[in-house]
Amino acid sequence: MKEFRRETLKTDLTTWTIGPYHGSLPAPIKLRLSLDGEIITDCDVETGFLHRGLEKVCELHSWRAALAYSDHLDPECAVFGELVLCLAVEEMAEIEVPARAQCIRIILSELARMSGHLSFMVRMAKAVGSETIIHYLLRDRERILDLFELLTGARFSLNFLRFGGVSADVTDGFIERVLEVCELVRIRMKEYNDLFTFNFGFLKRTSAVAPISKNLVSACGITGPNARASGVSFDTRKIFPYSGYNRLDFETPLGQGEGGILGDVHDRFLIRLRELTQSMEILKQLLDVVPSGEFMNNKMSQDPKIPPGEAYARVESSRGLLGCHVVSDGGASPSRVQFRTPTVANLLSIPQVVCGIRIEDLPVVLASLDLGIAEADR
Amino acid sequence: MMNSENSWIVALISSFGFVDEMPQWFYAGLALVCIFCFVIVPCGGLMSYFERKLAADLQARVGPSRSGPAGILQPIADLLKLLQKESRTEWNWKENLWLSVHTMALYSTLAVLPLGSMALLVNTEMSVFLPFWSALVLALGTMLLGLSQNSVPGWFGGIRVAAQTLAGSFPALISLLCTGVRSGSFRWSALAESQGFSPWDWTLMANPFQTIAFLVFVISGLVLLAIPPLDGGLSMSDIHGGVSSHLYGRRLSLFQFGRFYGFFFWSVITVVLFLGAWDLPIRLVIELKDRGANQLLAFFELCCLLVKTFVLMLLIIWIAKVNSRSRVDQITDFAWKVLSPFSLAALVGTSLWAGWRAF
Repeated sequence: MKEFRRETLKTDLTTWTIGPYHGSLPAPIKLRLSLDGEIITDCDVETGFLHRGLEKVCELHSWRAALAYSDHLDPECAVFGELVLCLAVEEMAEIEVPARAQCIRIILSELARMSGHLSFMVRMAKAVGSETIIHYLLRDRERILDLFELLTGARFSLNFLRFGGVSADVTDGFIERVLEVCELVRIRMKEYNDLFTFNFGFLKRTSAVAPISKNLVSACGITGPNARASGVSFDTRKIFPYSGYNRLDFETPLGQGEGGILGDVHDRFLIRLRELTQSMEILKQLLDVVPSGEFMNNKMSQDPKIPPGEAYARVESSRGLLGCHVVSDGGASPSRVQFRTPTVANLLSIPQVVCGIRIEDLPVVLASLDLGIAEADR
Repeated sequence: MMNSENSWIVALISSFGFVDEMPQWFYAGLALVCIFCFVIVPCGGLMSYFERKLAADLQARVGPSRSGPAGILQPIADLLKLLQKESRTEWNWKENLWLSVHTMALYSTLAVLPLGSMALLVNTEMSVFLPFWSALVLALGTMLLGLSQNSVPGWFGGIRVAAQTLAGSFPALISLLCTGVRSGSFRWSALAESQGFSPWDWTLMANPFQTIAFLVFVISGLVLLAIPPLDGGLSMSDIHGGVSSHLYGRRLSLFQFGRFYGFFFWSVITVVLFLGAWDLPIRLVIELKDRGANQLLAFFELCCLLVKTFVLMLLIIWIAKVNSRSRVDQITDFAWKVLSPFSLAALVGTSLWAGWRAF
């Protein structure tokens, strides 16, 4: 494999602090950069600007309210926060979830993954200065948000999942509209490929830039598309299946180093494009066989009492492995709620990943890491 | 020196009756002001509108639609808004000095702007080269403007612009020489006369080497003046605007208009050098001259030139809107390693072609 090394000017080092709000940052973080000319030689990351005490808030409210707050873990893909808390509580309280409800949960998860990946591509487009594709991507993501609105009444903060199921059944025509959106995105893939994947300018900006090695993936605990782009085959949906993913036939795409180096920015982009296709495949399989029956466990009350105990559940969010550790003392509210979010690992990797790149590439590299600061600061 | 063919300016001014005999520098200065106010500024507004409408069409948006019919007055609304804004930073004499140098360098090219056979203020053997002098002074002004801002975006922006200008000027200059080889002169009038109204008579189509020279000239112009999509020096997101990041209100509008003017100027030169200049069908020219309708002829020539210029500009904007912005080191690499060899090859090829044709 080609070694990644930049030529430096050997000038005196300078420092530059950017953030927490800056055009090149995808979210509020502060970076203290040491520069040799235009090459970054060192980087210190400061986070916490979006801290809301979310885990503590969950402990101060009822179980039902905690579920609503878990929405805010990652406002962009709210359903994953709800789902992971539901799974943990259901495991702890041994609550059964009807097959239809599980199916609806997967539909929502995959739609959220598609929405999250489209948002990622928007941020990439902004970072490389490609204006037109931003509008195309946002236009298509709107269609997915429309589906959320149709099913749940909300576009972002869904608050739709419940312990033991979901709060409502799918509405008439919902399944057909999901299929329509899948078909639309499949057609639009050509546009994405023309303006991104096969675009010379985009390739020049992303190929062989800031690769993440397999060692760094394991050292920082990186999961999700960023890890898979580096060739690490880890997908929670395959290794720890939940909500019926084990019954579905789908592949886990891996990075192939098409940009020159395995795990570079281009691989991180391509992996999401391929996952978009996989999500559509999953949705098509699901929509063919949506089981009939209840959408909610009828034994569950509006404000359930959870027996004492603890549990840990994990889901594959659009950014990686999202875990939730819940402890109950038998009271009306959780005793402890802790989230394991994928963005923390991505943040840990920043100092190593950005060392050696030019500062012009910093926005592109940060966008490629898909940082969800809301879930990291929580 | 004022061109003898510019008697129409003298006649026009004299017709107002308040001046009988004025020095030549007065007429030249007045002509520059007229060109700026009645050609450049309206063109800036129109292009700004066309650019936004084109971008909106490409991006599945509506674009300007509120100000005037179909949003045509949007550039005026924007200008009025920017003029009302006050500076957020304190008075910085260095910044103002270099902004003035920047502006003067840019608009000094008005004197050599070729706008038609009868609107050539400076038409000498050096006319074609004068814009390069201005572009280099412009780059110096922009660099020092950035360095005077005491901010990282300004420093990096200024230095990147200087690097781009140096990289772009060499291939641009060499490819420009190719046109001189064909026309035998670097006077604007000679360059225009060597071409014709039909695209087959344009320098671009004269031989394959001229086509290469045209492409090199256009692209190196984008590099030299940091025009999208090769505007990494001025617009890269890490320095969010570079030199312009600390400019607000009136200063920003001045700077932005200057950027438009640079783009417009380069496009006009490209049209004059390669795309048939202001040449109209010869029968029409003879007819108008026979009838003594020189002012009408000048107007038609100006329209012909501007239409070609706008089409070229819109093509470049189209490409810029759907492509990623390149890094400055990639741009300078491209200019030195690709454009420069091609420009030299075009010059050698054009010279050999001209020599072969002569025998």
